[in-house]
Amino acid sequence: MAMSRLGQRPTEVIKRSVTLHFRWNGRSFSGFEGDTVASALAASGQQVFSRSLKYHRPRGILTADYWDPNLMVQVGDDPNVRAGHRLLEEGMDVRAQNVWPSLRFDLKAANSLVGRFLSAGFYYKTFMRPRWLWPSYERVLSAFGPGGRVDIDSPDRYHDKRYTHPDVVVAGAGPAGIEAALAASKAGARVLLVEHEHSVGGHLRYSTRAAEQVALGKLRGTLEASDVEVLTDSTVTGRYEDNWLGIVQRNHPIAVERLIKARAKMLVVAPGLIERPYVFEGNDRPGVITSAAARRLINLWGVKPGERAVVFSANDEGDAAADLRDAGVDVAAVIDGRKGHRINSTRGSRRAVEGVVADGVRIDADLLVVAAGWTAPTSLLNMAGDRPAYDRYAARFFPSNPPDSVLATGGLSGDGTLDELRTHGAATGRLAAARALSVAHRIQARTARARAVGGPEPDWAADDRLPLRRDFHPELFRSDTHGMIDFSEDVGSKDLLAAAREGYDSVELAKRYTTATMGSSQGKLETVNTVAVLAEARGENIGEVGTTVWRPPYAPVSLGALAGRVFEPVRVSPIQPWHEANGVRTILAGQWVRPDHYGDPAAEVRNARSNVGIIDVTPLGKLDLRGPDIPKLLNLLYTNKWSNLAVGKVRYGMMCGEDGVVLDDGVTGRLGEDHYMMTTTSSGAGVVWEWVENWLQTERPDWRVHVTPVTSAYASINVAGPKSRRLVGRVVRDVDLSPEGFAYMEVRSATVAGVAGCFMWRIGFTGDLSYELHVPAGHGMHVWEALIEAGADLGVGPFGMEGQRIMRLEKGHFIVGQDTDGLTMAPSTGLSRLIRLDKENFVGRPELGWSGSRRLPMIVAIQPDHPQTVPDEGCQIVRGDTNEILGRITSSRMSPTLRRSICLGQVEPELAIGGSRVTVLLASGDRIGATVMGHHAHFDPAGERLRG
Amino acid sequence: MARSLGQLRHRPPRYSAAALAWRGLRGHTWPRVWRDPELKTSYDAVVVGGGVHGLATAYYLARNHDITDVAVLDKAYLGSGGSGRNTAIIRANYLTPAGVAFYGRSLQLYNSMAVDLNINVMFSERGHLTLAHTDGALRTMRWRAEVNKLGGVDSSVIGPGEIKKIVPSLDTSDRPRYPILGALYHPPGGIVRHDAVVWGYARAADHLGVEMHQRTEVLDVLCSGGEGPGGKGAGGRVTGVRTNRGDISTPVVINCTAGWASLVSAMAGVRLPIVTHPLQAAVTEPVKMFLPAVVVSGSLHVYVSQTSRGELVFGASVDPVATYSVRGSSEFTEELAGHVLQLMPGISQMRLLRQWAGLCDMTPDYSPVMGFTPVEGFLVDVGWGTYGFKAGPVSGEQMAEVVATGRTPELIEPFALSRFNTGNLVGEKGAAAVGH
Repeated sequence: MAMSRLGQRPTEVIKRSVTLHFRWNGRSFSGFEGDTVASALAASGQQVFSRSLKYHRPRGILTADYWDPNLMVQVGDDPNVRAGHRLLEEGMDVRAQNVWPSLRFDLKAANSLVGRFLSAGFYYKTFMRPRWLWPSYERVLSAFGPGGRVDIDSPDRYHDKRYTHPDVVVAGAGPAGIEAALAASKAGARVLLVEHEHSVGGHLRYSTRAAEQVALGKLRGTLEASDVEVLTDSTVTGRYEDNWLGIVQRNHPIAVERLIKARAKMLVVAPGLIERPYVFEGNDRPGVITSAAARRLINLWGVKPGERAVVFSANDEGDAAADLRDAGVDVAAVIDGRKGHRINSTRGSRRAVEGVVADGVRIDADLLVVAAGWTAPTSLLNMAGDRPAYDRYAARFFPSNPPDSVLATGGLSGDGTLDELRTHGAATGRLAAARALSVAHRIQARTARARAVGGPEPDWAADDRLPLRRDFHPELFRSDTHGMIDFSEDVGSKDLLAAAREGYDSVELAKRYTTATMGSSQGKLETVNTVAVLAEARGENIGEVGTTVWRPPYAPVSLGALAGRVFEPVRVSPIQPWHEANGVRTILAGQWVRPDHYGDPAAEVRNARSNVGIIDVTPLGKLDLRGPDIPKLLNLLYTNKWSNLAVGKVRYGMMCGEDGVVLDDGVTGRLGEDHYMMTTTSSGAGVVWEWVENWLQTERPDWRVHVTPVTSAYASINVAGPKSRRLVGRVVRDVDLSPEGFAYMEVRSATVAGVAGCFMWRIGFTGDLSYELHVPAGHGMHVWEALIEAGADLGVGPFGMEGQRIMRLEKGHFIVGQDTDGLTMAPSTGLSRLIRLDKENFVGRPELGWSGSRRLPMIVAIQPDHPQTVPDEGCQIVRGDTNEILGRITSSRMSPTLRRSICLGQVEPELAIGGSRVTVLLASGDRIGATVMGHHAHFDPAGERLRG
Repeated sequence: MARSLGQLRHRPPRYSAAALAWRGLRGHTWPRVWRDPELKTSYDAVVVGGGVHGLATAYYLARNHDITDVAVLDKAYLGSGGSGRNTAIIRANYLTPAGVAFYGRSLQLYNSMAVDLNINVMFSERGHLTLAHTDGALRTMRWRAEVNKLGGVDSSVIGPGEIKKIVPSLDTSDRPRYPILGALYHPPGGIVRHDAVVWGYARAADHLGVEMHQRTEVLDVLCSGGEGPGGKGAGGRVTGVRTNRGDISTPVVINCTAGWASLVSAMAGVRLPIVTHPLQAAVTEPVKMFLPAVVVSGSLHVYVSQTSRGELVFGASVDPVATYSVRGSSEFTEELAGHVLQLMPGISQMRLLRQWAGLCDMTPDYSPVMGFTPVEGFLVDVGWGTYGFKAGPVSGEQMAEVVATGRTPELIEPFALSRFNTGNLVGEKGAAAVGH
């Protein structure tokens, strides 16, 4: 007999005046506001909500809550929705998952006919031969996989995060949790109370006992009047180091889900207890439900769970007989598990219970309500490092030794009357508040920039709570028949016993082999029964077998909530609007969007080589260094010497890691007595900053150097080409630009186009006479436009990254990370004169010192025989017709200046001699001849142009 | 010399569809997958660590070299370390010729493993895509593809159009950040059922006479003649191990303990250039198959694949802080989710079900340390960092050869401990950092 809607219940949470319409597998249904998807369907007479994973057996309501493994449905494009928890909404499109062609008639149920062959882990034992057939088997197996469907074209949804620093977080708003929150708040603590379900009150919500209803009303009233912040439909999903908590809020008005990150001084864990399913033959037949499910259905949603019930009860709290009778259900029998009575099996069709066999006697019934016992959801304690211990007398796990900052209360801690639980909760709240004060004091005292600490640290409050007692509960896990243990994975007790016999007899191995506890509730319903059956197989007790490790999250969290608002900023220079207005093609370089070229990079190069070009190099990493110990720092980090750099001079330097591998390079100039500007590669800006700070803060804290990253504080413009001096002369009036007055590798402070506070240096990455202007970023656009305007008659034109890359390749300057790699040691660059092993010490020196005798690959310039053939970067240099690798092309371009292909590459040292012949294997598979050049520079090897 | 079936020490039942059917009909169950013998006081060789490396080493010692008096010791259960915590990705598209040759051999062994070990390890050869979001990354992909081709490994650079055809859920649109410019496509790459690999080697090794001892923790390595205290260290030789279940004498100890490698080596007085970092991973709830290839993004520090059950399995790079804690962090899942949604914005409703961490023994050059140490009889197969699982079979094969012949095979010469004295490091950092 199907379930149906009852008349109004005093405790119900549905609003019968608001009817909601929805679809279930394409058919129209309705329910009330406050219904869950499952309660609305149950009230409409639906019994089957899903099919089981392996055998596709029809499955009905089991626990009627978030953890119900049988109530996973698809809602619109949202897969794996918990119908036992998700509130009904108007217009919902709800579908059964993992059925074909339909829930009612599922062809995959044919699996149950061959069930005896589908023992746990059967797939490991077959399909090995023939190997070519495995991909087909694999597709079939994956078609039987669980879960709903994800729509990869789902629209973006809004997610958000919140950060909070409460004194006390209470996880669970049952009576003990509420009392804990209230007591802590009363003691002055800032309290966040987090409840997994849609309203507070725990089991009191579906209790019909008058005293409990009164208590619940009072608790709610007090809570509302208090300062406690209450989050419902929210779950503490993880407890990480130092009470860093993840909380997922599912009922945020705007965000689909919100991740709240709380740094709590104290955590109170009060999740209550989870009712444990009982293992017997036919325990997964629709019509077998837990006692909590029966009471929730009746008292929260006014759903009559059946017509004639057998009640199996092993504890007072779980005895639902009174509720059932009150709802008009005929209670055919109450089987008391405490007195040794047992359920043996259910009988009936595949879709419904028709009878229950208890103590060998069949009783006609369409409903079996089971209260076998309780499971303690110890996850959060486990995440805090506690190893909960099993108590045979109470037949459940208890906290053993959680850290001082984590307290448990409620059913997790023990048994008691409502008053006793509330008293324990309140004591826990007071203790949490007192300890939170100590923690707050400690944090304040130990934080460098803390406000003055008021008085001495309060004593760490001792745990003087009166412990809750532990009542006797029978160890009822499996009856004398075999049944289902993991409903979502379709793993039965027989499977587990077979696995144990095969040697998978530790809980971890059995879990991995059978997949028991790996499903949607991650073992909250299944773990203890799994352990119990393994204990049975091993002839040990549950404590000896132990449990699997509980890991975050306690309840699943959507990827959207975890990601939050994805913040991936793009950086652009202040000159970007000009670039965009002038036909720029951009390129992504790290976070920066940069001009790659403006249509014709070769023309840009020719113009810069013959007239003057300007390039926006703002992303160049810039570190402002101040202090008397800067020369020491530079000597430590660069391979060359820096003690004698005069004010106004610039020097090039190469940095190595401690392994002697090239880390970064760039120029550093001395702007004043104790003021230097270090530049890094654009991509290395962040890494080098960290590198410098790391050395200063951890290795040389006594050195007086202040480092300020100023990359985006300056707009940087390189002016390059034979006419660059004339162009710069038109915008800079306060610097003598004559070759004698401002020589190559010098730096000057300057006023550029009327902008004060600029500096510029003469360097030559492009290989031409060039000036690099660094101007306060706000004036970058102004200076750029001034240069364009002032140089019109000189033929000034912009060039982009591509032009710069061509020009530097013509000049033979290597790029760290392109021409070098993770193993390129400093000597491979050919700049051995910059590696001063006679310096006292520098990062990488020991490694470079003793590696001097090694055969290192060398960076060389290479020109293909055929001047029009440009090998792809990454092409390998091989020995003749063999596959032996002797090097590779690291950079290659067609040179507009030389009108031929030019390359940089790495080769074995014996080939690094001018005139060596090499073979380049092109991506096409062709092999071409090429010659190693005597000098890195394809263009102006003497450097006359850039020094001019 | 490979052993023929006739030489098996005991004849356990073979797995097959027919055997499943027969036992199913008769209601017979299967015997223990590996036996549970008494721990002896002496073995010809002791392997420390019951993961895929240790088990494969023991298996190949017995199968290829007829050395069967071998015990594999694990302080927990078989596969409890990295072997059961990795993301089960198999590939050979490495950057250096040494890496390509080595992992290429491993890929071959994975390919034939189901038949060789008579257990379905569910190797799903579904293709492996390493995405390039920048010009620089694309250049490295080209470099890897060229080295792979020369090493006989199937690998090529493909463009966004082809990527979209292989994995429709990837966002190949022209986005400002992390545009997908291309990918290194490695068709033979894929995923495997990692536990089955562990069990398969354990079962096959057991059949050949090797003993597996779980919950047997090595507390000390016993040595004599060395220059250090207790006869440990250079110049000494191994005489046995001390365990929580008693002392075992043996002339050969092979350290296959991954995250604990430096601790176990220290017991023999051998110092390794290894720092242990946690590596985190996570899994979502299952959904129907939509991600038909393994997808890796180095720039976004993420790799993702969908298991045959339908779960997405994610991993990232190692945690920045060295620790033996495997509790995991919130930041990891948050960054991971953000990065995955950059690649596949349509899956924001998928829910993360579980996160965990394993321990990685990182070396300076992101390559392993294999073979002899200054202590005679104490061998290492360590430094496996984030890439150990995919190398399990070939490592076992090669380490067995080292033990049996006393020589270092050419395939693993580049990975000798002595390279840290000569400076001949292996440059796999570029391909290994997140390249799973």
